[in-house]
Amino acid sequence: MPKPTKGPRLGGGPAHERLLLANLAAALFTHKSIKTTETKAKRLRPVAERLITFAKRGDLHARRRVLGVIGDKSVVHELFTEIAPLVAERDGGYTRITKLGFRKGDNASMVQIELVLEPVTPKRKSAKPAAAAAPAEAEAEVVEEAPAEETTTDAAADETGTDETTEAPAEESTEAAADEAPAEEKDAK
Amino acid sequence: MAVPKRKKSRSNTHARRSQWKAEIPTLVKTIENGKTTYSLPHRAKVVEDSAGTALFLEYKGRKVADV
Repeated sequence: MPKPTKGPRLGGGPAHERLLLANLAAALFTHKSIKTTETKAKRLRPVAERLITFAKRGDLHARRRVLGVIGDKSVVHELFTEIAPLVAERDGGYTRITKLGFRKGDNASMVQIELVLEPVTPKRKSAKPAAAAAPAEAEAEVVEEAPAEETTTDAAADETGTDETTEAPAEESTEAAADEAPAEEKDAK
Repeated sequence: MAVPKRKKSRSNTHARRSQWKAEIPTLVKTIENGKTTYSLPHRAKVVEDSAGTALFLEYKGRKVADV
């Protein structure tokens, strides 16, 4: 469940905030990646991810729930037909926020919020501690210094392995971003 | 309108101004192609070509946004 937001509404009232977040979500689904302030992006994240969860469900009722937030049918159609299949394997965390720096004029922290559309790479959580611990226990009796060195090399090897896996989808994303570059440029200005 | 009653002394002025200092930003040191670069943590970096023209913003090897 999303954490309840603290502080005043965005915009100036509850209705204004609802409209603002709905418009931001619609812009995010059309352009896949938008530049906004950090405050707005942080408020947008739970709204947008909830709409994507509805899109993954995919039935008529879910579509009507989403249409209650975003009025534009073409955007909702794109969300249900194009975005939902790409994030079908992903269990939450459909958006990524990257900080870009501060805006000239009011010094607001700007971020790029984008949909995470890369294929899911499963985390190898259990492999790393087990690999590091096993040689340390086995060779601890022989020499004290040797296992320490070997564990570091193992850890380094694991890190390089994970780096390769993370780099592979990153390259795909840059290719995908290149296709969507004109859309992003329009959005940035 | 409220008006100051007394002149602000030079020592008070200087004591106030001496508290206004620049903070040292904490930087992250990374080595790219044998070159050491310092950058702000958790912030996208501007990628430049050899002539120094800004191309795009990058974070963790991923293109994030156009400049």
